[in-house]
Amino acid sequence: MLNNDKDFKAKLDVLPIADQRHVAALFVMRVFPLSSDARLKNAIEMSQREGVMEAELASACQIANTARVESFTRCGRETDWTAQAGHFVAKAAVACVRPAGEGGNLAWDAAMSARMARTCETVATGEGTDNNEAGEQYRILEAFLNNQGTRP
Amino acid sequence: MSASLEKGVRVLKEVIDAPIASYFNSCVHCGLCAEACLFYTETGDPKYTPIHKLEPLRRIYEQEYTLLGRLKKMAGLSKPVTDAELDEWQELVYNSCTLCARCSAVCPVGNDIVYMVRKFREGMSAAGHAPEGIKGAVNRTITIGSPMGVKLPAVQAQMKHVEADYGIPIPLDAEGAEYMVMLSSMEIINFPEYLGAIAKIMHQAGKTWTLCSTAFEATNAGMQIGNSDLARVLVSRIVDGAEKLKVKTVISPECGHAYTALRWEGANLIGRPFTFEVKHILEVLAEFQEKGLLKTEGFETDKLTFHDPCQLVRRGGVIQQPRKLINQVAKNFVEMPDSGFMNWCCGGGGGASAIEEGAELRLEAFRKKKSQLDAVKPDRLVTACANCRIVLEEGLEHYQMDIPVVGLTEMIAEHLPERQKPEGS
Repeated sequence: MLNNDKDFKAKLDVLPIADQRHVAALFVMRVFPLSSDARLKNAIEMSQREGVMEAELASACQIANTARVESFTRCGRETDWTAQAGHFVAKAAVACVRPAGEGGNLAWDAAMSARMARTCETVATGEGTDNNEAGEQYRILEAFLNNQGTRP
Repeated sequence: MSASLEKGVRVLKEVIDAPIASYFNSCVHCGLCAEACLFYTETGDPKYTPIHKLEPLRRIYEQEYTLLGRLKKMAGLSKPVTDAELDEWQELVYNSCTLCARCSAVCPVGNDIVYMVRKFREGMSAAGHAPEGIKGAVNRTITIGSPMGVKLPAVQAQMKHVEADYGIPIPLDAEGAEYMVMLSSMEIINFPEYLGAIAKIMHQAGKTWTLCSTAFEATNAGMQIGNSDLARVLVSRIVDGAEKLKVKTVISPECGHAYTALRWEGANLIGRPFTFEVKHILEVLAEFQEKGLLKTEGFETDKLTFHDPCQLVRRGGVIQQPRKLINQVAKNFVEMPDSGFMNWCCGGGGGASAIEEGAELRLEAFRKKKSQLDAVKPDRLVTACANCRIVLEEGLEHYQMDIPVVGLTEMIAEHLPERQKPEGS
């Protein structure tokens, strides 16, 4: 049973790129309600589609990246932590569809941004910043790996 | 004359010191400062000529401190500064000036025009003519301690996130640590990876470091709006924190004005020398590099270029350090035209990016950066200022230029070998 980031990352690191995208999308879907940007749906769909073309991924990445850039909190502006959660959802969505050659594990990056999104949400609600996003991500990955094992 | 205008004019009279008097007298109206300002070069509008942005201040100087000006004033032959005029000048003094100091650098008679703009901002601020965006940042700084309203629990949440992400503890209020690391709100909110990079680098170098719960915010909104009293309070907060923790060095983050405020203005603002050193993070990394404490592996192979933050190069002289650092981890680093000391501003410094109504003009001015980038066509753009980073991303997005922007400290941290024991352990 997964219960720490070291093992979590190790399991993500051995996933093929298509599976990384798929799991990344599952992480993003959990925090997707924190964003009000419909443009991110395309990135999630593309990262889960079998046989997706590179051009489709590139297009989805460009759209998600626009959402990410537009949702930055600009220097000197008052921080709206709810909106900032949306920014990190967008950042996680970009990770799902970014080109494979950019280095790093995109599922891990999506997971970290999704956690930041959840953290921003907790800052916004002012009810303490503890949350179980990491635990939920461990559960998602385990379920994904178990399903893989039962595939024909 | 309204009470606020009266106050503003009084402040403007007070800020005119010997350097400003000599600068006004020395100006030869050559127009070189215009060609150095990206708001002029990209719009062609002469109102953006830097020395022209100071016209109300010049008139007050003339009317109050020159014989001819006084005589003209007594005879009713001079034009008084009005509220309407200062209102009109708000765009010139704030929206279209990033305090980048390029104008000061080219002035053939040595006029420090950006110094004059900052002094002019003091009067503008006192007269109530600072932009709402900057006023809001100042109010939040006074009431909350951060221009963007970041409170300690948010920092602690980010610390927790980074600890999980990088597996390295983030020290808070560790007395006797060698380094006290400052953050800008921008890094706390948008770039948690910066703190993670610091943790990795310090861990590898075997250095002790800490954040300070009473002074984590480096940004100085007092500097940006033109309010020396507020700037002093903000610097004092950092000094108190550093002295309480007995640190040897305070590290200014990847934020241009934070560096200028603390490193170059700080001791003068509080009226005494610091008991610690102040260094920009790139200066610290360069020291680690020289001492062999920054061991990296692998190279970036795509074409990289570096955007020099104005305050770093023109106020701080931090020019060679980022290049040496980039070359440690990159095989294909190229320079943009005018890079280094005369690099062009991103267009969002000096508080400009907080001014919503200035967004269109900023994007127009960004054409200068676009032309620099078009000349070298990099795969990625590296910089060392969180504000520059977002302004660059915004501009690149607007002009549909697919060039990812990365922070230099984070890029260095990505090349540290995994699981290396600290040097000092």
